[in-house]
Amino acid sequence: MLFLQLVINGLQVGALYALIAVGFSLIFGATKIFHFAHGATFTIAAYVFYSLYSVQEVHWVLSALVAGLAAVLFGVFLDKCVYAPIQRHEGSFFTLFVASLGCGIIVQNLIGIIFGRGFVSVTTPLSQSVELFPGLFVSPLSGIAIICAVLAFAVLQTFLMKTHIGMALRSLSENPELIRVYGLSPRQLSSIVFALGSLLVVPAAILSASSSGLNPAMSHHIMLISLAATIVGGVGSLRGAAYAGLLLGMSENIALLYLGPQWSEAVTFIVLFLFIMFRPAGFFGRAIAS
Amino acid sequence: MAAYIINLITLMSINAILAVTLNFIMGYAGIYSMAHAIFFGVGAYTAAFVALNFSASFFIAFPIAIIVAAILSLILALPALRVRGEYFVAASLGLQVLGVTIFSEWKSFTGGLGGIIGIPPVEIFTYEVINPLEFMLLSLVCLLLIVGYIAVLSKTSFGRNLKAIRDSESAAYALGKNVAIIKTLSVVISSSLAAVAGALYAVYLGFINVESFTLDTSVLLMAMVIIGGAGTMLGPIIGTVILMLLPSLFSYMWFLPQTEIGSIQQIAYGAAMVLLMIFRPGGLVGSSKKQEAK
Repeated sequence: MLFLQLVINGLQVGALYALIAVGFSLIFGATKIFHFAHGATFTIAAYVFYSLYSVQEVHWVLSALVAGLAAVLFGVFLDKCVYAPIQRHEGSFFTLFVASLGCGIIVQNLIGIIFGRGFVSVTTPLSQSVELFPGLFVSPLSGIAIICAVLAFAVLQTFLMKTHIGMALRSLSENPELIRVYGLSPRQLSSIVFALGSLLVVPAAILSASSSGLNPAMSHHIMLISLAATIVGGVGSLRGAAYAGLLLGMSENIALLYLGPQWSEAVTFIVLFLFIMFRPAGFFGRAIAS
Repeated sequence: MAAYIINLITLMSINAILAVTLNFIMGYAGIYSMAHAIFFGVGAYTAAFVALNFSASFFIAFPIAIIVAAILSLILALPALRVRGEYFVAASLGLQVLGVTIFSEWKSFTGGLGGIIGIPPVEIFTYEVINPLEFMLLSLVCLLLIVGYIAVLSKTSFGRNLKAIRDSESAAYALGKNVAIIKTLSVVISSSLAAVAGALYAVYLGFINVESFTLDTSVLLMAMVIIGGAGTMLGPIIGTVILMLLPSLFSYMWFLPQTEIGSIQQIAYGAAMVLLMIFRPGGLVGSSKKQEAK
């Protein structure tokens, strides 16, 4: 029964990880910007939701919408005010990464000053677990997480495959120069990618705030998950990132059978390490070893 | 006041050793490690262990710390050889997280969250270095030796090979350079020298715990290198001095909330990183135009 319980928890966590990782992978794949502040986007969305829903007691729909708006604004702001000026003069991986890291540090500490560095939790009527079978506790949030992830991926897939903007986004990852020839602006498309990628972490932020609570330092964990899932899934493959997120969430929970919860991040690292050693291309990616 | 300055200079030299060694892989080899604090920690714990159980001699505890860090750094070098720089960030981030877990869980060796107390002062030929002034000189000498070593190393063919790999790995490979061995060696050198800083830190404070070796430290070290100027000799040292002066500078500003000094310091260097990358990616010392860092 414990095993089944862990599988269900793993599915829930995995679905959230998948959302986070796909957002990062989308941005990294299309713009080649190593968006380390993706974790900060997550914390911003989660804390905006927390302060509106739990502190100000605003209706959850409105809180979620504002959280989404904040995340999108932050993502687009970074793209326009930080990454764009850097890309104008060089835009090497290193420079963009450092700038992004700096933004992440600023956000983490601002949140720490405003909300305190301790843990806060969001209690919703759905957070309460129900005992389905003797010894098997399932919170409605697990179901919501899985449905959210599946829905988000379905919408994203349709958007990327069927709409004109979606096609333009896909071609952005292939050849930015050619996009300019077609009269589209790579910069404008890049902002759209950031908006989309940032929007994807919002459901994950809200759901993990309601199920396991928040603290300002969690952005590092989010980044580790995004990076690990992007590599394990294969760089540039959204499908891969989603499966890898699921795999990481699962292995983290299954490992609880043998190890204490403090080892969960270590498990993520071991999965990542094994992939780097034995299959650096990931599930679906092209070879990344140089 | 004198004691305060001596303490500050000692801590600055220890941090400068870390920044200089990190710069060796970041600036010269293009390997962006977020796990440098782990080797700092490995050096500190090993030196503490040796000093407590066997001998506090400089010529025993320090070399053992260096050797242990060198061996463990192969764990870091392994993924570095398999993937490009971008993905190595992820691997080192993972290693950093794993390392902190081990530091706080392996209680028999690291003392867990409580850490290790009562580490004896270091001995040089049976002479105990207790006087803070003497210890400051010892750390300055260590720093100078390491800076000198790296300066010499970067002038040799090995240093030139490193820069070639940083600028174009495929080109270096095509010229018949053994990229794998050169990269591994650079990681081993950098990590083992970081252990010197760890050992100094442990015997200086007499107390260590996992707090000093977290991701925050790794990021701070990275900030020191970047703000000063990656790939330059002087940059990391200047970056260290500036970032180490920040907290005391902020504590003089009465209008800042004193409980938040730590956060304000982090915000300051976060902002400095962002602004430098936009306006001067080479760092304070580096040239303003693009000259390195691919």
